[in-house]
Amino acid sequence: MSHPNEVRPYRYSLSEKLYLPLFQGMWITLRHFVKNLVRRKPEYTIEYPEERRQYSHRFRGHHILTTRPDGSLRCVACFLCATNCPAECIHIEAGEHPDVNIEKYPVVYDIDMLRCVFCGYCVDACPEDAIIMSNNYDMAFFNRAQSIVSKEDLQKPYTVDPSVLGYRPSYPEEDAMRARLREGVVDLVEEARRRHEASPEPPKAAAG
Amino acid sequence: MIGESWITTQIAALEGWAQRNSFWPLPFGTACCAIEFMGTVSSHYDMSRFGYEVVRFSPRQSDIMIVAGTITDKMAPVMKRIYDQMPDPKWVVSMGACACSGGFYRAYHVMQGIDEVIPVDVYVPGCPPTPEGLMYGILQLKEKIARSHRAQAKKEDSRGTDGDRSDAAA
Amino acid sequence: MAPTVTVPTPLPEKFPEGTVVEQEGMDQPTWVVQREVLKDLALELRDGPETQFDLMLDLCGTDYPERDQRFEAVYHLYSLPRGERLRLKVPVTEDVPTLPSLIDVWKACDWFEREAWDMFGLRFDGHPNLRRILTHEAFQGHPLRKDYDPARRWILTEDKIYRPHPQPPEGEDDDDIFERMTINIGPSHPAMHGTFRVVATLDGETIVASEVEIGYLHRCFEKMAETHTWQQVIPYTDRLNYCSSFINNVAYCKTVETMLGIEAPPRAVWARTILSEFSRIMDHCVANGSTLVDAGALTNFWYMFQPREEIYGLLEACSGARLTVSYGRIGGLSADLPPDFEARCRRLLEIIPPFIDDVDGLIAKNRIWLDRSVGVAAISGEEAVNWGWTGPCLRASGVGYDVRKAHPYDLYDTVDWEVPIFHGGDVHDRYRVRMAEIRQSLSIIRQLLDRGMPEGPVIVDDPHIALPSKEACYNQMESMIYHFKLIMDGIQVPPGERYSMVEGANGELGFYIVSDGGGKPYRVKVRPPCFPMMSTFSRLIEGGTVSDAVVSLGGLNVIAGELER
Repeated sequence: MSHPNEVRPYRYSLSEKLYLPLFQGMWITLRHFVKNLVRRKPEYTIEYPEERRQYSHRFRGHHILTTRPDGSLRCVACFLCATNCPAECIHIEAGEHPDVNIEKYPVVYDIDMLRCVFCGYCVDACPEDAIIMSNNYDMAFFNRAQSIVSKEDLQKPYTVDPSVLGYRPSYPEEDAMRARLREGVVDLVEEARRRHEASPEPPKAAAG
Repeated sequence: MIGESWITTQIAALEGWAQRNSFWPLPFGTACCAIEFMGTVSSHYDMSRFGYEVVRFSPRQSDIMIVAGTITDKMAPVMKRIYDQMPDPKWVVSMGACACSGGFYRAYHVMQGIDEVIPVDVYVPGCPPTPEGLMYGILQLKEKIARSHRAQAKKEDSRGTDGDRSDAAA
Repeated sequence: MAPTVTVPTPLPEKFPEGTVVEQEGMDQPTWVVQREVLKDLALELRDGPETQFDLMLDLCGTDYPERDQRFEAVYHLYSLPRGERLRLKVPVTEDVPTLPSLIDVWKACDWFEREAWDMFGLRFDGHPNLRRILTHEAFQGHPLRKDYDPARRWILTEDKIYRPHPQPPEGEDDDDIFERMTINIGPSHPAMHGTFRVVATLDGETIVASEVEIGYLHRCFEKMAETHTWQQVIPYTDRLNYCSSFINNVAYCKTVETMLGIEAPPRAVWARTILSEFSRIMDHCVANGSTLVDAGALTNFWYMFQPREEIYGLLEACSGARLTVSYGRIGGLSADLPPDFEARCRRLLEIIPPFIDDVDGLIAKNRIWLDRSVGVAAISGEEAVNWGWTGPCLRASGVGYDVRKAHPYDLYDTVDWEVPIFHGGDVHDRYRVRMAEIRQSLSIIRQLLDRGMPEGPVIVDDPHIALPSKEACYNQMESMIYHFKLIMDGIQVPPGERYSMVEGANGELGFYIVSDGGGKPYRVKVRPPCFPMMSTFSRLIEGGTVSDAVVSLGGLNVIAGELER
């Protein structure tokens, strides 16, 4: 079988030759213009920083080191996160823990935020639930030294606002939702439709 | 004499105010981050709300360079030259892991951070950063510039009064 | 155009004994060819009525330092009419690493041979311009050789930058040569989409000769893949074609899965198909949006970016990142689908079409756009195949090759869809193919959603491949041990090699992977769909004006991350 060895370019129709469909295009932009003019709030624009996009709770943002009820780090310095990190951005130095039940703890636990590619592999690797990620993407540094975040700073976001949790190994509320789904209590498509009809604004959460 | 220094500091303040509220960014986009940069300037995030929408590809017309994406050793001289072509005052935002530090490309052809060749004012981590992240970085830069203007004004002020005193002594 | 015959290619008899030997135990027919007969064999394979290998997909080098003949050049051929694949391996020694250039047989070999020279130091006799292509001018050594240190860098200074002066072939126009001018476009130029450099010699406004320089985004993906574990390569694959990163995940994972002899569970396959199609829509949106920007139609860029942002929302809900998703894992997906996955998809199916219709309404019949695009950078199907094209651009030239139809994977053979084909071969038809494919993708997604989400896990239940669930890991000693072992040693892939492909947004995205049985890949070669297309760029723009060159680059949708890896 041979392939076509010549091209058959598009043939203009009469109306195209006369530039008529241009008016159709102008009508489209005019429609958008008027629609945006009469709308009180811009339909699509997210007015950061006053308004924030609703990211899901799997968002891979700034890391968090979780703590035990007594306030000590859950991390046992097993180095799995550092091993699994493709960017090799985690630096750990282990030390003996005074509590005999806990073998080791990290004396130093630094993440180089500028090396990090936020792939979530450290969270996947952690066998202790000790490192999770937050929903926090507001990060900027003025120099490279500032970007090496120590274990003290990594604990902070967790205590500030637990609702900004991001990527982590298990999602209890999601599992509960799924259980209800299996029992036939909720129909997600129906629910989304209902929610959508209830609010004429395009739901930002569903849109992303 | 006092009046003159008052006028110059006011003009400087006005200039600083204008500068930090109307950056003309030069997007030096090479890779994935450039796609997020496009997202930042398009309608969902709309950078023009801050006055930063005049994206110029000519270095002669821009005052803030947003390096978005991996800079390889092959690209480095190009980036350096473009930076040199920008008129002063100029600032550099390094967007994303690759531009900041090379990211996870610890490799034979990738520059380990653009600060090897040009000075960087703000590093924005992320791979790529979200548009919000980039905006946060630029707003931080705005703050930084405002701070430096205030410091400058203070210095001018004190120098101005020093000058008056010496004049009086003379 | 589904291929009808798939008969393994018989070994040719006319070559001397031992020069062409079939290698046993391979995933596809593999011949070991001595370099003396390579060119004759290639011609025979291309033109023989029983072979018809018209498409040269990929050429790469491999390095086995312990062998007598250290290097191997590996060709992947495909026969469009027969739907048959063939791999040729040409072993060469380190002392004399020379092969005949096959540029006369398949023009696609042009850049691939330069790449093999750059990366491995294989020399191709008869190649007109065997220069480095991916690394820079001051680079020394051949980085993909096994004895090259991955972090060894060379510094390029401005005085060493290559300055091409493309000269048109000697011809009738020699008398007005004094009017010619050579201009440099890129690598930092808005029309060059970031990282390409074109040096064009102009006669008036017409480009009479040009040279394309790439490599400004060579991020050493293949070397990085060799220094990381199998699972760790996935974030790197995201950054190949960053406009549709999930498709890269799928392509890589599928290749490794076939090497392991496993299959992703039905739920993962279902999700992979849907998300791949959404990724394709995103990619086509960028391609068409940026082409239209280059032609001056900025409004469409905003309209085209809306569906993208909406799809980002879905991908972020699944994986946690907007662009570089890293959602695929060898054996399935990294996490279960979010509970509202189906509802979100349905919502996207409602949101996307109005934007596509708006763009079509603005553009499809707009004479200004037609004048800018019809007949621009036209290439016939036959020529495009010879240059190694695949994907939407090839389908715009009238050749209906689509991996999803020709070699169905995932769920593509269970849904009802068609391959859009146009015959103009120009920028306009590339635009139309992409628009039609967006609609087809929406239809595929709708059918799959109607079928319902399969129940079950999203990753294989094999402790040697997939990490055990966190609960098991916390509570069972055995799972904990597997967890540690898997992270420390990585997946152990049995020795062997495999080429497997998916239909990427730009064409056939193939992965050729060699394993030596260790925890890291021995060699990973990506078959980047836009690499052969970009190598045609000089041919496409010569004879046109500079403004046409700008539009045609957008039409090809060359993604630097994938082109230069």
